[in-house]
Amino acid sequence: MTVSQLAKGIKAGKRRPLAKGITLVESSHPSDQEQAAQLLTHLAEDRDTIRIGVSGVPGVGKSTFIEAFGNHLIAEGHRVAVLAVDPSSPTTGGSILGDKTRMETLSSREEAFIRPSPTSGTLGGVAKRTRETMLLCEAGGYDVILVETVGVGQSEFEVSSMVDCFMMLMLPGAGDGLQGIKRGIMEITDVMVINKADGDQEKLALQAKSEYEHAFHFLQTRLPDIPVRFHAVSALKNKGITEVWSSILQFIDALKQQGFFNEQRMSQNLSWFKRLAEDALIEELWRGEHNREMAEQLKKGIINNEILPSVAAKKMVSIIKKADSN
Amino acid sequence: MADQKQSPEEQWRALATKALKGKDPESLNRKSPEGVQIQALYTKDDVEQRNTDSGYPGQFPFTRGPYPTMYTQRPWTIRQYAGFSTAEESNKFYRAALEKGQKGLSVAFDLATHRGYDSDHPRVVGDVGKAGVAIDSVEDMKILFDGIPLDQMSVSMTMNGAVIPIMAAYIVAAEEQGVASEKLSGTIQNDILKEFMVRNTYIYPPQESMRLVADIIEYTSKYMPRFNSISISGYHMQEAGADSALELAFTLADGLEYVKTAVERGLAVDDFAPRLSFFFAIGMNFLMEVSKLRAARSLWAELMKEYFDPKNQKSMMLRTHCQTSGWSLTAQDPLNNVIRTTIEAMAAVLGGTQSLHTNSYDEAISLPTETSSRIARNTQIIIQEETDITHTVDPLGGSYAIESMTSDLKERALGIINEVMEMGGMAKAIEQGYPKRKIEEAAAIKQAGIDKGDLTIVGVNKFINEKEDPVEILDIDNTDVRNRQVELIEAIKEKRDKVAVKEVLEQIKTSAESGKGNLLELAVEATRRRATVGEISTAMERAWGRHSATSQTIKGVYESVYQSDDHYQEIKHKIEAFAEEEGRRPRILVVKMGQDGHDRGAKVVATAFADMGFDVDVGPLFSTPEEAAKQAIENDVHVIGVSTLAAGHKTLIPELISILKNQEAEDIIIVAGGVIPVQDYEFLRSVGVSAIFGPGTNIPKAASEVIDEIRAVKA
Repeated sequence: MTVSQLAKGIKAGKRRPLAKGITLVESSHPSDQEQAAQLLTHLAEDRDTIRIGVSGVPGVGKSTFIEAFGNHLIAEGHRVAVLAVDPSSPTTGGSILGDKTRMETLSSREEAFIRPSPTSGTLGGVAKRTRETMLLCEAGGYDVILVETVGVGQSEFEVSSMVDCFMMLMLPGAGDGLQGIKRGIMEITDVMVINKADGDQEKLALQAKSEYEHAFHFLQTRLPDIPVRFHAVSALKNKGITEVWSSILQFIDALKQQGFFNEQRMSQNLSWFKRLAEDALIEELWRGEHNREMAEQLKKGIINNEILPSVAAKKMVSIIKKADSN
Repeated sequence: MADQKQSPEEQWRALATKALKGKDPESLNRKSPEGVQIQALYTKDDVEQRNTDSGYPGQFPFTRGPYPTMYTQRPWTIRQYAGFSTAEESNKFYRAALEKGQKGLSVAFDLATHRGYDSDHPRVVGDVGKAGVAIDSVEDMKILFDGIPLDQMSVSMTMNGAVIPIMAAYIVAAEEQGVASEKLSGTIQNDILKEFMVRNTYIYPPQESMRLVADIIEYTSKYMPRFNSISISGYHMQEAGADSALELAFTLADGLEYVKTAVERGLAVDDFAPRLSFFFAIGMNFLMEVSKLRAARSLWAELMKEYFDPKNQKSMMLRTHCQTSGWSLTAQDPLNNVIRTTIEAMAAVLGGTQSLHTNSYDEAISLPTETSSRIARNTQIIIQEETDITHTVDPLGGSYAIESMTSDLKERALGIINEVMEMGGMAKAIEQGYPKRKIEEAAAIKQAGIDKGDLTIVGVNKFINEKEDPVEILDIDNTDVRNRQVELIEAIKEKRDKVAVKEVLEQIKTSAESGKGNLLELAVEATRRRATVGEISTAMERAWGRHSATSQTIKGVYESVYQSDDHYQEIKHKIEAFAEEEGRRPRILVVKMGQDGHDRGAKVVATAFADMGFDVDVGPLFSTPEEAAKQAIENDVHVIGVSTLAAGHKTLIPELISILKNQEAEDIIIVAGGVIPVQDYEFLRSVGVSAIFGPGTNIPKAASEVIDEIRAVKA
């Protein structure tokens, strides 16, 4: 399929071209990357969508939650794309992507598109692909995008920098209050959901909810004028899901009313631009053909004590400067 | 000449060292997969050190057998598991087998029935009548037992998911035969815990399923005193890859959980515990399997005494059914399976089983034929009637090796049971995924051992027969069976009192919701009024929903066995090269379609392929071809690997391929693996399957072939 055929197919809401487009975006092959860039240019357009990040520790029930939540969104007339960012990258070998085994009904819905991404490559790489995959899904007519990540490493921060609303899933383990939360997570959380509020754990979940509410009261949150929202739900029993969705809608409304919605997306784009430029620069610095030779020489020099690291570094960077002035 | 002052043990050591050309005899000791140290020589000292006096048969803790006289008085029951197609066909088969020396019946139901679907349900098109008999209502059940007096014939039924409507159909079929329920003897499997661990033919969530178990124990203890209310099964754990210690530990821990559930229901332990029965697999580790059955009896007796302190000795007495291992059978050179089954049958008998199923030699290929069924049955008759094995109780009792291994295995299993108890019992452990993970690890390690050649399987990785003779197979025309079943369902629904059926189904739903009443009692009434198996299941499903399991996959275990194997590294490089060229790793969707839940093969392939460098998507269990196609397309996989064990492949794979075509995804290639008769290969290739991998396939080789196939499509 050519790029324009792909673009046409994606716009027509077809599944196969969308999936192929995502493969281009994910590919590490230079010619694929070029085509991916063309494709994204073809599809660039402002669309009325909501991007939601969903995170939480393993075992918190993310997949079960997304299954229930996604089905609710579809019942409300939305089309839902679920993308998974999993940074627990193995050093060798491929990955096992078992997410759909846990989103059985959602994955078979016509209105849903679920694509877990393999974990090879750097975290930055994963984030790059996810951003662009998100744009493709939006072009394909999916108006709510859920970006799921397991809370490992920096992944929550990566995800929060590409969504409109960041949702944190918690376990009912009450008592330890905020101690169980990773540093910095509170500052990016817009909606906090305590899952597994069923059976023996219902009481615990409610207790945890009020503890978090209390603790957040004294914290600097992301948006001073828009309060963080809290919910105790049971994804398994489908309880409390409606409330989470209306809470998110209220949050988005508030963002829009205060003019933050577009501003946020804009600033995400700007910092994304900065990040990409930096990455490209580093790539160029170490991978450019002429530069690689230079780097090898300088490394040898350092090993043989012929040149100081600081001097070598200056020499290295001067190449880029030269290229710039040419 | 040995020194006069040396003890016999020292002399042996010296002689052995000499025979080994100076090497320490300890070097002959080995570690079994269970982690039990297997000694090259056991002596009186070993038995004394372990302080194991196995005592007398028929006495606590029953190590040497539950009964005082064992086979010297009456041999074990020959109970062959069978069922296929329609109730008429299975009935014919049963009657013929009973005439030829079989003593008890054991019914195999098809997967649609297991999962609580009537034959007319759209999800089960490929499953009806395939790996068992299709039973939709009491009318089918009556045909199944036509001419078989249920007051005289003990009937074992392998049913866990749809256990309520099937028990009800059996009870009502007997009733209409004129047999009251207190005269019924036999066993219902009713072991739901292991379904959540390995076999996956559950319907409802765990907690609700446990209520059904309790309802059945309660009902049978009241109305069916000669009927075993449960068959606590380790069989499927071993088949899924568990070693003997894991099988033993998890099975007994399941047993304790059931006893606890029934006691909490308010039953006195002595009112039901004597009717608990067990079910173990017997594989090729002969001495270990004999020891396992002996260890199982004494461990169960001791655990029951410790936890529940029953007054009746029978409550502590473990009685078991055994089946030879299906997993140990090979599709290659299948007559070898007769020998394997014979050895396994001997282990079961020397271990003291109460009843036995011997597998047919063609079961790794297809359903048993008349010939293979006869040979399987005769295997047992020959042991009973041509040898002297039945003339002595527990003939291996007192063997230094057997007594030591019994004791070591017991200790090992007890360690695992204690771990489970610390987690809060088996239900809690299963919730945490602990047993499943342990079993899957053991399976992956075993597979890698075979692929690498560390574990010998004759005809598969050693002494391969280059020129295989074709084997006669039994093929079920599934479309015909389904049409016939659908007609029957329609006829029943036409004739019955619709209001009465609706009323009782509503009562079932209410009872499910409220937790009050006995669901089997209500189902018996519903069955009398001609509600179908599917309708009764659905009534409960309306209250509880259908359970979908969260599936975990392990990584790195398969590779750990290989470490620096050159051939394996070669395949990894091949995959890396592919990834480099393509810009991404080869991506495969491993999927099971239809109602078959045996996912050992799919899991092992998934973890091995990922270790070798594939990106692997794992499809949900019980997928339809539509769902599999959607997932494959969304994830843009290169290849779909269909794992099939239940003979639905001839319906489901062509459907999958045609759906892919309709969505312009014909470049996604299809490979199939599992139990597929050679006779079907041609057909599957003609509809577009690129490669077929039978049982015993070397996985790295298969991976390499898959890469070649993907390249061929790209070219």
